Amino acid sequence: MSGGKKTWRMFLVYLVCILIAVATLFPIYWMFVISARSRLEVFLGPRLIQTSFYAPNYYRPFVQDVYGRYLVNSLLIASGNTLLVVCLAVLATYAFSRFRVPGSNNLFFWTITNRMAPPAVFIVPFFLMFTRLGLRDSQFGLILLYCIFNLPFAIWLLKGMMDGIPKELDEAALIDGCSLWGLLWHVIIPLAKPGIMVTAILNWIFAWNEYLFAAILTSVRSRTITTGLAEFVTVIGTNWGEMAAVSVVCLIPAIVFIGIAQRHIIAGLTFGAVKD
Amino acid sequence: MKENRKQVWGLIAPTLFLMIFIGVIPVIYVIYLSAFKYNVFAKIPFRYTGFNNFRKLVFDPDFLKSLRLGLTFVALCCGIELPLGLLIANLLTLNFKGKGIFRTIMTLPLAMAPISIGSIWVLITNPDFGPLPFLFRKIGIEYNMGINANQAFFTTVLVDIWHWTPFVVLTFMAGLTSLPNQPYEAALVDGANRWQTFRYVTIPLLKPVILTTLFIRVMDTFRVFDEVWMLTSGGPGTATRYVSIHLVRMVLQSMEYGYSSAMSLFLLYLTIIICFLLLTFISSSQEAT
Amino acid sequence: MKKLGVAILLVGMLVLASSWCFAAVNNPEWWQKAAEPYKGVVIKGISESTPPSKAMVEVAAPEFEKLTGIKVEFEVTSWDEMYNKSIQDLQSGAGIYDFIYVEQDIIYAYLAQKWLTNLNPFIANANITNPDFDVEDFTTFINYFKDAEGNIYAIPFEAFLKAYIYRTDLFNDPEIKAAFKAKYGYDLAVPTTWEQYTDIAKFFTEYGKEKGIELYGHVAQAKTHPCVAYEMCETIWPAWGVYNWGINMENMRASVDKGGTLNSDQAKKAFRWYVDMLQYAPPGVRTYTWDETGAVFGAGKIAQGIIYLENLGWIATDASKSAVVGKIAVALPPTAPGVMDAAKAGKGYIGYYDGGALGIPHSAKNKEAAWLFIQWCMRKEWQGEFAKMATRVVRKSTFEDPLVKDLDAQTGGYFTMLKDQGYLFAGAPALPMHRPLNEVYLKWISKAVAGEISPEDALDNLAKEVDQLMEDLGY
Repeated sequence: MSGGKKTWRMFLVYLVCILIAVATLFPIYWMFVISARSRLEVFLGPRLIQTSFYAPNYYRPFVQDVYGRYLVNSLLIASGNTLLVVCLAVLATYAFSRFRVPGSNNLFFWTITNRMAPPAVFIVPFFLMFTRLGLRDSQFGLILLYCIFNLPFAIWLLKGMMDGIPKELDEAALIDGCSLWGLLWHVIIPLAKPGIMVTAILNWIFAWNEYLFAAILTSVRSRTITTGLAEFVTVIGTNWGEMAAVSVVCLIPAIVFIGIAQRHIIAGLTFGAVKD
Repeated sequence: MKENRKQVWGLIAPTLFLMIFIGVIPVIYVIYLSAFKYNVFAKIPFRYTGFNNFRKLVFDPDFLKSLRLGLTFVALCCGIELPLGLLIANLLTLNFKGKGIFRTIMTLPLAMAPISIGSIWVLITNPDFGPLPFLFRKIGIEYNMGINANQAFFTTVLVDIWHWTPFVVLTFMAGLTSLPNQPYEAALVDGANRWQTFRYVTIPLLKPVILTTLFIRVMDTFRVFDEVWMLTSGGPGTATRYVSIHLVRMVLQSMEYGYSSAMSLFLLYLTIIICFLLLTFISSSQEAT
Repeated sequence: MKKLGVAILLVGMLVLASSWCFAAVNNPEWWQKAAEPYKGVVIKGISESTPPSKAMVEVAAPEFEKLTGIKVEFEVTSWDEMYNKSIQDLQSGAGIYDFIYVEQDIIYAYLAQKWLTNLNPFIANANITNPDFDVEDFTTFINYFKDAEGNIYAIPFEAFLKAYIYRTDLFNDPEIKAAFKAKYGYDLAVPTTWEQYTDIAKFFTEYGKEKGIELYGHVAQAKTHPCVAYEMCETIWPAWGVYNWGINMENMRASVDKGGTLNSDQAKKAFRWYVDMLQYAPPGVRTYTWDETGAVFGAGKIAQGIIYLENLGWIATDASKSAVVGKIAVALPPTAPGVMDAAKAGKGYIGYYDGGALGIPHSAKNKEAAWLFIQWCMRKEWQGEFAKMATRVVRKSTFEDPLVKDLDAQTGGYFTMLKDQGYLFAGAPALPMHRPLNEVYLKWISKAVAGEISPEDALDNLAKEVDQLMEDLGY
């Protein structure tokens, strides 16, 4: 390949990448812009550059209102749910992937179908159940509830990962006298770690963003930040500025979380594609 | 390994227990509700009606239209997101400086709450003060989601693409980086060009990943609500009233619990059938590779 | 990160705490004595995040807690969510909430299901009813919250009109006045007929185009959204003489051949007019809800329109949100011939008297404490300040408050209109099934607004479907 052609190709790659990056970033940039505008400015016209900064958008929700607490609730619930889901999913997937239990394929498929149900109508039974059990408006209730769509997703993702780990490894370990737990702990988990991390991240994002159930099943104590966002939609107008400001602040923990785990995402999501 | 069977069940048990608690009991309740005419605003709110809800469903023109729209939306979104995701994933697995930054940028939309995404796009697409119609006007196109049904439809597709292509990119990137080397070396020896290598080596190797991603995207696009509701509320007219939106409105606005329970079950089984077909396809293709 | 957040939160709370100075309380001792048995009780409530609710949460509730020792957990949230939660609570009888938001149009549904507590025994009990609490002092709006026997089920805390609002600076501009007179042959003034309204709308939209400025003569909430159905039913049709959503309240049917008026010629004419008028509104009008209508008016892009006057407070007084402070006034909406006379005679109405109240669910666990809090929010001496925060009045005596008189001048005579002409407006008709109805109205109205179907056909279909729905629901 000639040098000129290579430069030309690199140029093309950068061009496409930058185009995609701009398309991806523009709405996020717009969110920042809106968060810096007063209500009057929002409705004035499509000015692309923002020079002033309207601080009350950030100040009011977090200082005067209790959005800080919503944020803490969201962090607790998303992290708690992630921890629970990952633990359960690792155990279950280990079983699904390594042992031929009668009916395990059906069980596996049934688990996944739980993610397919349209959620709206389920608020009726969940409301009844959670109120009776005293789980309504508690962080723990939501941590449990989010398993219904996150656990199938996690099992699905991890199954691919664990299937990809060569079976010869665990046979060797078992011959060495490793117990079932030992095998899981010393062989499977270290090898599947990237996959587990990815599962955790995507799971965390899903739990962090969930709205419908959080809206119905929480009131004051365990409100999450996404339900807090809905509060800005009022009869006298959506408070776009504050909503954007809270969304911006919401992005920070998510970015931190994703940033830390970025490398694991790439190495982890293989779905058992490797079959040498 | 037979002596381990108890231990193996022990591994699955917590998941099973939890899923029965939060997955089975509500479904049974919904099946029960689907046999009733149940609307809190009716004179007699709760009345047994047998299979009538299901019978009504099959002849309900609103439901059928929304189902058709919903399926079109799913097909269009997945049909664009997957090829686009594949392209971007290929691009980002090339070796060049700064790809880490681009990879990080690509994950950002995933981290935003659907309701924020909806509200930001409402502001971007507003015909009076949004930047998008403003740009379109500069090139001579009148862009108005309130009037033009096609534009509204494609805007919802665009937003979904913007939000979820990053997910597809992530999964494909992972798939691509973990592909084995030998087939590529063989292709090089055979003198295949880039396109041929991609077509005859990468695609077949990546097939399980592609299908799995498709599977997840089909499930999730079928349930889309927050973004579209914020953006168009199903309008103009009923142009973007996808089945997921129709259902949520039936539950939360009309409070037709019985009828919408029947609808939910119908949709659940429809998704299961679609996914089952995909899954069979996946396992057969996995055995083939 | 978290610690910092907690620290900021604490500082914020301290700042807030120090600013809680007491608004007027006439006899704090009475409140303390009445609340004595309920000290330490936690009462829970839910409301929509409207400015009046926010005022109760941010001002009334903390003061009440401090004075009486009854803790108030008051959540304010979006309209959809508020309904979903309260209805789930009410129908399951879970007893989560001790007081709930009862919007005027939902009261009939709640009463039909016997979901609310009769407040008359509470009012009769002198131990828990403040001597200043006087049902007679409430405006006629409280009548909407009574059942057929006259028992009160909820106490209103907000009440608004949806009325005509216009820009005084434009209407009084000599140049504009002359141009209008030259074009239409009569003086530019607040319209009293729909023809005049149409002329003015046309005039200002064309004027904006000629001058190259963003100015329109009309605005509507025409997005495919529940709001477009409400706009037709509450605002446009009544002023054209089609009442009660076009439904015959005797037999609950809507189509003309069953005694309704929903697909009558007059209803079709009004609807055709509504759809045609959208051309004089900003191009994005079909993406507007009640949100954007107020916002574009506040941004100074609209010369006249009929909007929810909940917005009036910020449009008229808050310069950080509104570009038209001091340039607006309100008036009665235009009407079709005969409608005004009918309204004055009490046989019809010209627009929407909108508002909400606080009621106590049948399943509430702390009814007495909740009743004390409801009275606290509606206590006479606080009403003026409450009105200043949220532009609402529910007690007659509030109109005499100097704060309100002051506001009246700033808002172009809104409170005078509310006081003197409020009787011409009406709340929603007694339709217990109004939520499912709204969804059907929304479907056909938005189809016509989007141009999928002609307005006339839409109404024929709508009437048929409303009849069907009524039958389904057993009415």
